[in-house]
Amino acid sequence: MAHVVQALDQPSNYKDSQSRVDRQKQNELLANSTTLYVGNLSFYTTEEQIYEVFSKCANPEDGGGIKRIIMGLDRNTRTPCGFCFVEYYTHAEALASMRYVSGTKLDERIIRCDLDLGYKEGRQFGRGKSGGQVRDEHRQDYDPGRGGWGAQAQKAEIERRRQVEERYLDAQEGPGAVAGGGGDWKEMEGATEGKLKRGRSPDDEGENSRLGQRTRTEEDLEAERM
Amino acid sequence: MSYNDRPYRGGRRRYHRDDYDDRRREETPQEKVKNAIIKLGEVDPVQELPAIEAHVRSLAPLNIPSLAEAFHVSVTEQPFKIPYYAALLRRLHDTPEDGNAEEPSLGKQILEEFWKGFQAYVDKLAWRETRSCIHFFAHLTSAKLVAPESLAILLQAFTAVLDEFGVSHGRAKRAALCAAEGLMIGGASLKAISSSSPSEIINALQIFIETTTNAKWIVQPALKLHSASVDVENADELLDSALTILKALDAIDFDAPCPRPYSEYPELDSAFFTPFTLPLVLVPPEVIELEGLSSEEEESDAQVRKEEWPEYFLRLFPDDVTPDPNTPAGYIVRTDLLAIIDIFEVNRKECARLLLEYPKWTLPGTFKPKPGAPPSEVEPVVPHEWQLESTILETVLGASLLLPESAYKQIYYIGLITEVCKLSPQTVGPAVGKSIRRLYSSLSDGLDVDISRRFMEWFSIHMSNFNFAWVWKEWVPDLSLAVQHPKRNFIRRSLELEIRLSYYDRIVKTLPEAMHSPDAHTVPAQAPGPNFEYDDPTHPYHDATQNILNLFRGRSKAEDVITHLDTLRNTLEIEASESGQSLSNVPNLIRRIAIQSLLHIGSRSFSHLLNAIERYLPLLRSVASGSTSTASGSPEAKVDILNAVASFWKYNPLMVNIVLDKFMQYQIVDPTDVVSWTFNHIAEVEESERDLRAPMSLSAVEWDLLRGALNKAIGRVSLSRRKLTALRKEDDESRARAKASGGNMDVDGETKEEPPVAENPALTTAIKAFSTLTREQKSVLSRTLEGFVACLAPSLTSTHPNPKVSEVLTENAWHNRANWGRDEWNAWETWGWYRQFCTAYSPYLRSYATTLTTISFARFEGQSDPASDLLQKIWNISIGQE
Repeated sequence: MAHVVQALDQPSNYKDSQSRVDRQKQNELLANSTTLYVGNLSFYTTEEQIYEVFSKCANPEDGGGIKRIIMGLDRNTRTPCGFCFVEYYTHAEALASMRYVSGTKLDERIIRCDLDLGYKEGRQFGRGKSGGQVRDEHRQDYDPGRGGWGAQAQKAEIERRRQVEERYLDAQEGPGAVAGGGGDWKEMEGATEGKLKRGRSPDDEGENSRLGQRTRTEEDLEAERM
Repeated sequence: MSYNDRPYRGGRRRYHRDDYDDRRREETPQEKVKNAIIKLGEVDPVQELPAIEAHVRSLAPLNIPSLAEAFHVSVTEQPFKIPYYAALLRRLHDTPEDGNAEEPSLGKQILEEFWKGFQAYVDKLAWRETRSCIHFFAHLTSAKLVAPESLAILLQAFTAVLDEFGVSHGRAKRAALCAAEGLMIGGASLKAISSSSPSEIINALQIFIETTTNAKWIVQPALKLHSASVDVENADELLDSALTILKALDAIDFDAPCPRPYSEYPELDSAFFTPFTLPLVLVPPEVIELEGLSSEEEESDAQVRKEEWPEYFLRLFPDDVTPDPNTPAGYIVRTDLLAIIDIFEVNRKECARLLLEYPKWTLPGTFKPKPGAPPSEVEPVVPHEWQLESTILETVLGASLLLPESAYKQIYYIGLITEVCKLSPQTVGPAVGKSIRRLYSSLSDGLDVDISRRFMEWFSIHMSNFNFAWVWKEWVPDLSLAVQHPKRNFIRRSLELEIRLSYYDRIVKTLPEAMHSPDAHTVPAQAPGPNFEYDDPTHPYHDATQNILNLFRGRSKAEDVITHLDTLRNTLEIEASESGQSLSNVPNLIRRIAIQSLLHIGSRSFSHLLNAIERYLPLLRSVASGSTSTASGSPEAKVDILNAVASFWKYNPLMVNIVLDKFMQYQIVDPTDVVSWTFNHIAEVEESERDLRAPMSLSAVEWDLLRGALNKAIGRVSLSRRKLTALRKEDDESRARAKASGGNMDVDGETKEEPPVAENPALTTAIKAFSTLTREQKSVLSRTLEGFVACLAPSLTSTHPNPKVSEVLTENAWHNRANWGRDEWNAWETWGWYRQFCTAYSPYLRSYATTLTTISFARFEGQSDPASDLLQKIWNISIGQE
């Protein structure tokens, strides 16, 4: 119903400021995007909480589902820094999340979703000077869910912090650091063949090489809404 | 709808800041008028009408198509405003002071143009738009702009659909609503010219409804196993309600209580004016895709069409609080609200606003005024004074709890209620609380299991948006009910879902003391973490497991881990044979250790799990293959894998779902393996669990596993079908090109040999994949059906039947349910999931109906007992054979 109201699943002015793809190409990518950028997360929110909420928009009977979740991490400390990417198998699921989930609470914070061009290596890390997201560099308010914790913070949250701090200590950089989530169904060869084949779908690889992606991770740029 | 492919077309710009292209342009005078029409009634529709009329008339040059489009947008996207649009069009039929009464009026020109658009909606079977336009035409008839005879003929075109041979319920329902609602609104005019035409429509509707008894029986919102008749309290079927009020309206000559602002206007001068005659329409047949797959295939690759069923809307409040849809006024209110919920699905925030603003489109007195609002200047015309918020809640929940499934995803309705609450927390909050209590209390009276599941989902997500503030204390007395009583299931499962959305300590803090105790079986004793068997240093295989974990942590190659596991197996076999034990358990043990260790590595997060699976896929495949080297793997090994997953995540059903979903995705196990395993798994209830659950029974947790497997198999077929269709199209095109470039213009009309086109290998592969996946889908459905039959009508040789499974089927048993224990409630719930399986998956089950019937029901041939009869009745109705 585009006449009477604006649909909630339209792309916003969110963009990946480091993307080297031209505007027209970006629009094409967004029109088929299966990936969401999710912002304003608490640092404590786990991938399983994210999975639980975003699986409500999945269409498994249509070949969909949650392909993978990529937690945004502080570049230096490797701890969650308040954003993530949720990648589905189908575009319709990403749109459904825009309509139904964006603007509702996850872990008691109002989260914001935006259609994303698609995850590229390096984008899992914060781009702020001190490793986290840029918005947390300049933020003045006290936000217990985003690192603004101290005496007032609940004991329970300190315990949760301990757990999250450990969780991603093993996070890697470089190709293959982030799992693909499993590709389309394929005819199985003999099961005991010792082929070391990765589960990424061929489409993923094609897309990577086509876009010739490059990132400038040290630059203080931001993937967030301006 | 087409909102995707036309991102913006001159409507109203509500969200400037969200306009990503920042392109602002001046509106043309045409667009200004169009927007003024669409926005009619921002403040007071009746007072705005003259100004908008003047605005339209001031436009030069007149652009009739643009004005007709404005009416189309207005009528189809804001059906609750239709009476006012009828009034506007009536005003545009007046001859202006300086005009010539013999020329066709502006209104008439617009109406003629509008008709063409309606014809287009009918031709593409755009039912929602068609229905709104019929409302509009009925109001126009009432406003004397349309000839009543022609409205009667139009409505008959829709009742004719009900007589079609083999008409689907969905098509018949939509056509029936068009005819019925057109009659409700325009009935007075129809009856004035012919008293028989209303009764013909009513009869047609009645005859159709009589054919739907079985379908109604199977989707009624209460699950009463003993009752063969439709036995519904507190819910109303959509077409039943329509029929009831048509009869009531017929008795009072269709004096339907809807706003008719045009009735104030003087009659048009019949010397110059003849009412518009709606041309004849024919409702086109449904498009059936006949394109089949190669002839040896039993199944076609045509898209599966969702089956539609009668719609029972739950009532949560008494008639003086919310409208009774079996009264004309109540039916109109509910129809308008449902239309808003349907149309504004694309923007739940705007939808919430429109729902709360709805009273302004109703007759004064329909709803209670807002508390604290200034006293209304208009006198109430009707005496209802319903509560708006309760009405909204009842309608949204009613739409979300339809069986077997709602039109949109649950999360839409949940999000919509959240938005309504956010707009007016003080007034909506109490209505939410009352709705929850009402639904909760109906859990004791047989509220369907899938409705309960959705209720839990709504409850937990709603609470997660509102600080988890629920007064749990009031349900403490219910802890004395049987542990599997639906109310206790509700409490337990909702808390489990709340914990998933939040975290254990946060949720436990919201509970009264009485719910903490382990005997209360309400929340687990600790956060739902992993259960790694070999973690304990005293465990005999602790050290062996640590070595494997170290290989994983050191990112050893999968081959090296496989080699290590082989060595470990040899060691354990030697140990076993030295101590005189059997060697046969060693392979199972090795698999268990391998899978649990891998899950342990992946237990930190979903991404860790994916990384672990992906890095060690060869290992997983090797484990799944058992000692064989077949492509499908060893069934025994897969059972070990699934057991290891269930044991490792026994405290966390969400993780079991996630792991199994990814194991299926990576083809370590197949959907059929998961279904078979689920039914075997519930047969063996551990001794420690026996207090809590009966064997051979399904709860919402197992249903989630089955659903995951069924949907995975169905999803693969649907993906593969899309791929195949695309390849076919491509192939056809390349053949056509090859033919064209051959250059042999066939002047004589003789068919020449097609130029040989190379076999398309991609197409061949896709056809093969499609047929494999279709077989897998059939096998999953078949295995699920067998599983249910084995649970609900256990054979005499069954080793672990639920002891009470056959005792819940009689009327006496049902009335004695206050004394039901765990086993009875478990049996009842399993019946519920069976009904849900048959109805929700009916479109897929229908494709294999003959085979599945033979496989699962052959053993009941010639015998009759309540369980097998009920199994077959539910099955037959679901596949459309009863």
